[in-house]
Amino acid sequence: MKSWISKLTTSLLALGAATAASAGSITVYTALEEEEIAGYIAAAEASMPDLDINVLRLSTGKLGARILAEADNPQADVIWGWAVTAMMDPRILGMLEPYKAKGVDVLADSFRDPDDRWFAPIGYMGAFCVNTARLEQKGLPMPKSWKDLEDPAFKGEVLMPDPNSSGTGYLHVNAVLQNMGEEAGWAQLEAVDPNMAQYTSSGSKPCKAARVGEYTVGISLAFTAMSSIEEGYPLAMVFPEGGVGYELEASGLMASSGNKDDAKKFLDWTMSDEAIALYGQYKALITVPGVKASAASEKAGLPSDISTVLAKVDFAKSAQNQIAVKQTWKDKLGR
Amino acid sequence: MTGAAQPARAASTRQGIDSDKLLTLVCVGLPLIGLLLFFLYPMAIVFLRSLTTADGSYGLGNYAEVLGSTGFWRATRHSLLMGGATTVLSVVLGFVIAHGLYRCAFRGKWLIRAVIVLPLLAPSLVQALGLIFLLGRNGLLNRFFGLEIDIYGFWGLLIANTLYALPQAVMIIGAALVLLDARTYEAAEVMGASPARQFRDLTLPAARFGILNAAFVTFTITITDFGNAAVIGGDYSVLATEIYSQVIGLRNFNMGAVVGIMLLLPTVLSYYIERQAMKRQQGQQATNAQPFVPQFTALRDLPMAALCLAICAMIVAVIGIVVYASFVRLWPYNLSLTPRHYDITLAGGYSSLWITIVISLMAAAGGTLAVFLLGIGLRRLPKALMQPIQLLAAMPAAVPGMVLGLAYILTFNSTATPLYLLYGTAALIAIVNFYHYHTQSFLTVMTGFRQLPPALEEAAGSLGAGMGRIAVNIIAPFVAPMLVSVFFFLFMRSMVTLSAVVFLTTPHLSVAAVTIMRLDDAGLTSQAAAFSTCVMAVVCIALLGMKAVLAYLSRRSARGRAD
Repeated sequence: MKSWISKLTTSLLALGAATAASAGSITVYTALEEEEIAGYIAAAEASMPDLDINVLRLSTGKLGARILAEADNPQADVIWGWAVTAMMDPRILGMLEPYKAKGVDVLADSFRDPDDRWFAPIGYMGAFCVNTARLEQKGLPMPKSWKDLEDPAFKGEVLMPDPNSSGTGYLHVNAVLQNMGEEAGWAQLEAVDPNMAQYTSSGSKPCKAARVGEYTVGISLAFTAMSSIEEGYPLAMVFPEGGVGYELEASGLMASSGNKDDAKKFLDWTMSDEAIALYGQYKALITVPGVKASAASEKAGLPSDISTVLAKVDFAKSAQNQIAVKQTWKDKLGR
Repeated sequence: MTGAAQPARAASTRQGIDSDKLLTLVCVGLPLIGLLLFFLYPMAIVFLRSLTTADGSYGLGNYAEVLGSTGFWRATRHSLLMGGATTVLSVVLGFVIAHGLYRCAFRGKWLIRAVIVLPLLAPSLVQALGLIFLLGRNGLLNRFFGLEIDIYGFWGLLIANTLYALPQAVMIIGAALVLLDARTYEAAEVMGASPARQFRDLTLPAARFGILNAAFVTFTITITDFGNAAVIGGDYSVLATEIYSQVIGLRNFNMGAVVGIMLLLPTVLSYYIERQAMKRQQGQQATNAQPFVPQFTALRDLPMAALCLAICAMIVAVIGIVVYASFVRLWPYNLSLTPRHYDITLAGGYSSLWITIVISLMAAAGGTLAVFLLGIGLRRLPKALMQPIQLLAAMPAAVPGMVLGLAYILTFNSTATPLYLLYGTAALIAIVNFYHYHTQSFLTVMTGFRQLPPALEEAAGSLGAGMGRIAVNIIAPFVAPMLVSVFFFLFMRSMVTLSAVVFLTTPHLSVAAVTIMRLDDAGLTSQAAAFSTCVMAVVCIALLGMKAVLAYLSRRSARGRAD
């Protein structure tokens, strides 16, 4: 019984601490990568010393589940850098308040909401992670496109995330469909299916499995590929010919925020020159015109003009079609 | 409790009975309030969500949709098959180990005892990495023997699930075997019963309650586990992967809730079957049980020791390889040793480790007390009242961690009740950890209680000892070994469990398991392995420390009694 009393005391104390901190502090939910978050937050807090920024980082899917579960009493002031396909879920859009952050005008129309509920100066891309050691050992040719993966020699050597469980899975499926057209796109996915060893539930797992040599090709994320190459794994990052899927990382203001002034200040900062300069340090995909991608990504094999490798993706359409596409995928290819 | 018992003894018989009733009420009432608030209430909200259709109205539409999909039935078939196979394997191996530990004589039992709990204190990432590093397509075994064994799918999942379930089976079956009365065996010996006959007629029937409870727990945790399925199950879809894809992939909690509610059905059914099977067995304990001290018998003990050690070697290999890999520069391509992965680059570093210890101690202390009280109280309740409470107490394991975590958000993030005060606190994380593992704790204590001779209690009662006094002086020392294993179990699981907790952390409050997940999410798997190794080391040190304290206390109390 004592433990109940102590539990209650602890909770009251924690609550007291939380309310005391709320002046000049905001809570930000994000799915950006840890390393860049640390960089951005250090800079943001230096330029806004009065503002205390509390960040909760979860993967795209888990963050969605959490935001929706908290919908009756949202805890976040800002959603920062979250997949736009998820952000365009009507239930999420309904939680956002239109706000036109300073400097957002420079973004092309396709990178922000017509009603100003979100904007996306940055994004991330998919990639094939090819284990060069295993490729050589198996005597396989370096795959350059989705079509190359049809080769029966790749049987049981390819992994990709399940679009029904992973946003990264949908990113790839959607890019193939939008790039090649529905019919040719589905035919392509079905042609690769016999070689597919597994459809995983995590988006980064195919790359992590490929880098330790469990499989040869992991259809996954460019970020995971680049960080693995930096770690020293025998990995090559390949963007399939005809265009690779990508996703925008959108930010928006929560209508329920109790500290909108500071939340807006933070959103303004994410479009500031200082922030944009940092994007150049961390990101491969920057939608702000005239900003070059990071040196690291160039070293890892990213072309200086990435628009040459990106698929043509219409994000409004991707968000609209996702339920239908995922269902069709389940019917045609679900295991 | 002793304080409450003293006046009871002094008072007249009638008042004594009344205060006993009051104490029963408190013993059952407090844990029951906890179960209602922190398990039944959140699950009622999950149930309500499962009935909420896309247009916001209530109905069975979601159920119809789930039952109509082919994926669901395939996953159900897979889950039941996997649950059955894991249960058989874990209970057989668990019985072998528990029997070896408590009914056989050989050296090195401390080693088996220490190793068998490792899967409980290892973060799930460790088991996942260990199995792949060892048995994967590019794993040690395949490379060393030049094989091409592919374990992804049924067999990999069976091994992973068994590794996780085995220690829990040993804990519960052990609770049944440790307390068997030695004198029954002496009598059997005198009457000339062969060891095989003693095993069949004495050990097996006595262990039956423990075996059935262990089977129930193993089956339930297997059909609700997502982590192993995601890592090593390949395309072998199970119900837990269906829930994940609904809740995380399709952002449709209500459909996931349907599958979550359906998962309760096989559990309730198997619990019912178990109870039916138990009806035929009566408690047959004599008073004043003597602890059994096995004599060495080569024919029985050597094979038992070999089997136990083989199972333990497997566990050590899976966990050891990850500890080793955490010191390797780049597994499996550059095997030179380095401590560099222990320099955690994530913001916050090792700080989450300390708060996790506090949370785990809270969960373990509060939880052990709660199941102990519930165990005592239930013995005094009429059957009609006892059974529904027992079922409720045995149910939490049937809820996947992810569903429980999100249910806690839906319940405790609502300002409609004062429970909102708990949201975002360490206390709520301790609470969710306890209720997540309520079933195992409760059934271990119940299995132990079953071996308690009722005559002992009756004798004490007729001598005028109140229930509180009986609880403290007679029951508590008798079930102390079970309470200790429940405490350690809750402590270990709270240190490393992730699935429910991941939804309840805040920017200010993160736990070790979440740090491990964040490291792995960031692609820093070697650092995640290093951090896991530190967690395991800290848990081991904490366990040893607590064991030392316990040994000291029991020595002192033994001396105290002798004086």
